[in-house]
Amino acid sequence: MASRPSTASRRRWGSTIAGVIVLCVMLFPLYWMLNTALQPAAGLLRVAPVPHNLDLSGFSKALDDQGGHLLTSLVVSLGAVVICLAIAAPAAYGLARFGLRGTRTIVFGTLITQMVPGIVIANALYNTYVDLGLVNSYAGLMLADASLGIPFSIVLMRSFMVSIPGEVIEAAQVDGAGALRTFLRVVLPMSRNALITSGLFAFLFAWSDFMFALTLNTTDDVKPVTLGIYQYIGAHVGDWGSVMAASVLSAVPAAILLVVAQKYIAAGITGGSVK
Amino acid sequence: MSKRFNASFSTRIVAAACVLVASATLTGCGQDRDDGVYTVLNSSTDETYHRWDAEAMARCGKQLGITIEQQSVPAAQVMTKALRMASSRSLPDIVQFDASEMPTFAEAGGLIDLTTLGLSTRDIPKGIVAFGSYKGTYYGAARSVNTLALFYNKDVLRQAGLPVPTTWDELRATAKKLTHGKRYGLALSAGGAEDGVFQFLPFMWSNGGDERTLDGPRVVEALDFWKDLIKDGSLSKSTVSWTQADVNDQFMAGNAAMMINGPWQVETLNTDKSLHWGIAPIPVPRAGATSVGPLGGAVLTVPNTGDTERERMAGRIVACLSSEKEQLTYALNSWMVPANEKAAAVWRRRMPELQALAGQVAAARSRTAELGAGWSSVSLALQSAFQSALTGESSQAALKRAQQRATSGN
Amino acid sequence: MTTSSITAPAAVVTPRDTVPDPARQRRRRTLARWGFVAPAVVFMLLFFGYPLVRNVVMSFQHYTPKTFFTGRAPFNGTDNWSHVFRDALFGKALWHTLVFTAGSLLGQFCIGLALAVFFNRRFPLGGVLRSLILLPWLVPMVVSGVVWRRILDQDTGVLNSFLDTLGLPGHTPWLTDPGMALLSVILVNIWIGIPFNMVILYGGLQEIPRELYEAASLDGASAWRSFRSITLPMLRPVITVVLVLGFMSTVKILDLILALTDGGPADATQTLGTLTYQNSFVQLDFGAGAVVGNVLILISAVFAVLYLRANRTEGK
Repeated sequence: MASRPSTASRRRWGSTIAGVIVLCVMLFPLYWMLNTALQPAAGLLRVAPVPHNLDLSGFSKALDDQGGHLLTSLVVSLGAVVICLAIAAPAAYGLARFGLRGTRTIVFGTLITQMVPGIVIANALYNTYVDLGLVNSYAGLMLADASLGIPFSIVLMRSFMVSIPGEVIEAAQVDGAGALRTFLRVVLPMSRNALITSGLFAFLFAWSDFMFALTLNTTDDVKPVTLGIYQYIGAHVGDWGSVMAASVLSAVPAAILLVVAQKYIAAGITGGSVK
Repeated sequence: MSKRFNASFSTRIVAAACVLVASATLTGCGQDRDDGVYTVLNSSTDETYHRWDAEAMARCGKQLGITIEQQSVPAAQVMTKALRMASSRSLPDIVQFDASEMPTFAEAGGLIDLTTLGLSTRDIPKGIVAFGSYKGTYYGAARSVNTLALFYNKDVLRQAGLPVPTTWDELRATAKKLTHGKRYGLALSAGGAEDGVFQFLPFMWSNGGDERTLDGPRVVEALDFWKDLIKDGSLSKSTVSWTQADVNDQFMAGNAAMMINGPWQVETLNTDKSLHWGIAPIPVPRAGATSVGPLGGAVLTVPNTGDTERERMAGRIVACLSSEKEQLTYALNSWMVPANEKAAAVWRRRMPELQALAGQVAAARSRTAELGAGWSSVSLALQSAFQSALTGESSQAALKRAQQRATSGN
Repeated sequence: MTTSSITAPAAVVTPRDTVPDPARQRRRRTLARWGFVAPAVVFMLLFFGYPLVRNVVMSFQHYTPKTFFTGRAPFNGTDNWSHVFRDALFGKALWHTLVFTAGSLLGQFCIGLALAVFFNRRFPLGGVLRSLILLPWLVPMVVSGVVWRRILDQDTGVLNSFLDTLGLPGHTPWLTDPGMALLSVILVNIWIGIPFNMVILYGGLQEIPRELYEAASLDGASAWRSFRSITLPMLRPVITVVLVLGFMSTVKILDLILALTDGGPADATQTLGTLTYQNSFVQLDFGAGAVVGNVLILISAVFAVLYLRANRTEGK
């Protein structure tokens, strides 16, 4: 009897060790990115496995050059998330609960959207954007980036909202609440996990966007960090320390967001993936 | 409690959305052309080049009583961006194209004849006028031109007691002797982009090859020479994935004793004080042959915006930026050779260490002289061919396919 | 929150049927309900429908650099199509696309599932490790491409120097050999895709009641047995979601390959995605680019129809 818990706990710690090993393999490229960033003087061709002393000059240069672009990325991505949720959440609710004619077609339509390559979209959007004065604007890029997350969010939130017990919604309606109020006061709060998860996905899609930033801008007014890094590499100088430092910086905001939203994600997806 | 939190949370999100959208629309609009402000689209994304251009533009702006703004995008994006701007009628006043791309834009009817804007070709060598011309019309004013040369590590060559190679045989032998441990004898770019083609041309042209018959024996020989370098182990197999900037990185890190590269790398090379490099003409197939490289560089063009008033001013800006004085300043900064003969003479006196380059430029050829706008499909076919050949296929077969592709693809 | 969704659709219909409102009021209500859905429909039509239609039209037009100035692109029948299909590169790119997609999905899914099952067990620090493993997913693809390009460099990459110290072939030409490059690109894409697969599959695993496993182990079922007879069937809907989404995003991939190999060496990693890009933006032959784009969409559509049909027969 006495030995059982200890074997069990030993096995559990064994799992931890295995987990750490898996993690090391998965995160190695990111470590290498950081490591290279900390050795700007070495040039990338003679990088030591571990930085001997913390040389932050790569980071300070990257911050100087890319700090503004990071901020642009942040503003654009947050804007895209807001637009995405504002459009996708009501639609998800409508498609989940109203039994409108054409619901199936629309849901199938969201699937179709996933098939269109980004480059095809960007190509077609440009001229429309010019007519609407959206080229080189924050609003334009936010809208385009929101398109990356909207179909996914609709599908995810719809599956979630389908599973909200009908009685809850009926109860609200008996109380005299209209569709909009029911949605805002009852449905949205109950879908918190799905909302956060969709928001996170939308953020990630927008954050890593490169195609729209490249094609929908003709000036440097709105330049997110992905484009900034791309131009860093494209330039004549192979300043890899700064490039890698900028890369590290480009992962930080998303990482913070992940840590904050972590506990909602699994729950959000759980609800979402069960159709 | 959680419900209340959420309600207030969502109102906050909505409020934030309003602020974001409002501020975005405020800053985003207003693309109308400003009277006193002129824009130049170029590829000076590199910090130093961007600064030099900005300084030149400030001087010319002051002289002409206007403001000149600079928009820099990666070289590969200039053409698509300019075309997009053409379709949206928002072309900048001046576009700086890579000379090999200019014919495409000119062919589409997008450029203004510079001579009608009062620019003269006096003092510019014929070859460089042709470089900026398409079908006999002078569309592009070059500020400077460049070509490729052989860069070598002086210390490594001295230690090995070897002279700088001048022929292919010497290059092959020297590269082999200098290959040691992690260091390769030679580095060059055979990447699948214009960079790689640019680097192949000095070998192809010096050997008498012609871009109109890619499967000709002279071209095959040149490609076989590259294959031999790889076979010897003097050239890394990674060469097929390197850009010219990568090649420079390898050279600076001591992973290559010699490299084929251009003067635009000098700025970076000089950041490492312990690196002693020299420069020589690219070796030729046989002693006594002329080393013919590709003429590289960008030209300033005035796109057809339909606004003659602005076009005329744009012409004056181009004239100022490509004036003898500005050319010299730019060339001394960037280590490239001025297009203007008088400026080039001064430059040669001031940069004796780059003599080799000046000679190469004089003999260099323009890529689009024979093919004009047809160059891009030949370039694409050639890239694919030498990549296949360097990774195993026979040069003959690869080039034969390239020739078919180049001629079929209209 | 864990309410099963199976009963829900029935509940949806009830309010609508039981309210005996006058016709006008009902119409107003339908209109209000459409108000929820309409913005999304309009948005999707603008951002996906319009480009799709335009791309189809464009593939039948002669589109040259001149078109950007004149706005004129005469119809040229099926010229673009026959031009693309005759190009030897197209068949190559199609094959690479299929290999790339199949390889990536297989790798991402299997490893993702294994990790999901692994992290579904309770062990110290499990939660922390699980969330850390998501990090690769947060790095923009362009950036991942750049980092991996350096790691996989034949001469100076850390992977080869590591293999070298282990006495393994330390001169593997990961990205520079036409025979290796596609495989390397697939490996990098698997690395990128594992977190996404893991997170969604893990979510699905959490939904499976633990009692089922307990009952199975009481019946003496082995771990493998209960994986096959409980986990896989229960996870099925989640698996389809993962695979369908994965397929659609993988088949059209572009930025990763551009950053890693630019389609090279010797077109060994040229896929339909990069071919669209090359036709349109390097060759400036937008008609041909549109053709390849359409082929990509068509492949996805065929896949989607197969998926829907499989789903429907399963539902019956």
